[in-house]
Amino acid sequence: MRLGLGKCMITVGRQPRRGPPGRQCDRQHRCEGQDPKQEAPASRHRRMVPWPLGMRGLCRDTALFLVATLVLGTAANLVPGRQLAWWGKGHQPPQEGVDFSLLDPGSASALLGSLPRVAFLDTRSQAEYAAGHVPGAREISYTDLDAQLTPALLAELRAADAVIVYGASGETDVEQLLAQELRRRGLPPPYVLAGGFGAWQGSDLPVEGSGR
Amino acid sequence: MRWLRNPWLHRVLGLVLGAIFLYAAHAKILDPRPLVTIIWNYRILPPGPINVMALYMPWMELLVGLALVTGFKRRGAAVWATVLLLAFSAALLVNALRGVNVACGCFSTSAEDVHNAWLLVLRDLPMLIAAVVMAAFPPTRAKTTDAP
Repeated sequence: MRLGLGKCMITVGRQPRRGPPGRQCDRQHRCEGQDPKQEAPASRHRRMVPWPLGMRGLCRDTALFLVATLVLGTAANLVPGRQLAWWGKGHQPPQEGVDFSLLDPGSASALLGSLPRVAFLDTRSQAEYAAGHVPGAREISYTDLDAQLTPALLAELRAADAVIVYGASGETDVEQLLAQELRRRGLPPPYVLAGGFGAWQGSDLPVEGSGR
Repeated sequence: MRWLRNPWLHRVLGLVLGAIFLYAAHAKILDPRPLVTIIWNYRILPPGPINVMALYMPWMELLVGLALVTGFKRRGAAVWATVLLLAFSAALLVNALRGVNVACGCFSTSAEDVHNAWLLVLRDLPMLIAAVVMAAFPPTRAKTTDAP
């Protein structure tokens, strides 16, 4: 029994020997209507397909992957709650003076001492935050922002006199991206701590956490 | 170079590389939005196609990983793995030459997961070699005869 479409066939069970079209062959490859004295054809071996000849199937397979990817990616983006704009719009880099203002650790410390409500947002990993952070800082990782930036937190940040965002060092710009995101959600442009937590520690400013 | 066509070599390479691709795809498929930021941080693509990449690339990684692990259309998957790894390596190399360490977005969607770009290029190299071997040196098929 042969199942399948076109050339893609699956053979099930014991099959008669294949010979010329329309003829049945025995185990010695002698086919119906063939002169018994005639020598049976040599056993056929499947050989390695040379590179250029195997290209057609390869092109078909790679196209298959592409089509499957397009179908799955499109279907996944239609699921509510995880949708993304089809064409990247409005993803402009955060700009100093527009999305945030840079603040050195000394000025940040002075702000902390002079203003009653200064909110610090720590964008580093959970482990880094646990090891040590600016006193009173809140941990916000730059993933799943919708779940983290709750209306209550945004209201709290709006009520603050200053919001200062910081990361691990001056090398990453996650804090700038978070500042841009906060501004998009209606907050005034926050401050970004220049040099991050590394610069804060380097300035011998107070640190809170287990790894002090 | 005949050993490069050993079917067992291809099975092992497929399993290892496929597992890496599956691991890389899972977080990005769950939520592609952080990936937009990571791709943007590479500062190579203009804003337009960034979302297209973030939408479709994880699914390609998933399909390639599945195919490499199971052996179904392994050579086709290896071609895509080569293309993806070449693209990743080129993007990392550009940033390494710029002197910028980026969050590669390889196994995590955290934009803060920053590593040395040169080390990331070096990490991609063995994977790229494995993918090229599977794509360019298809395994020798077992000889079969018509006799039972």
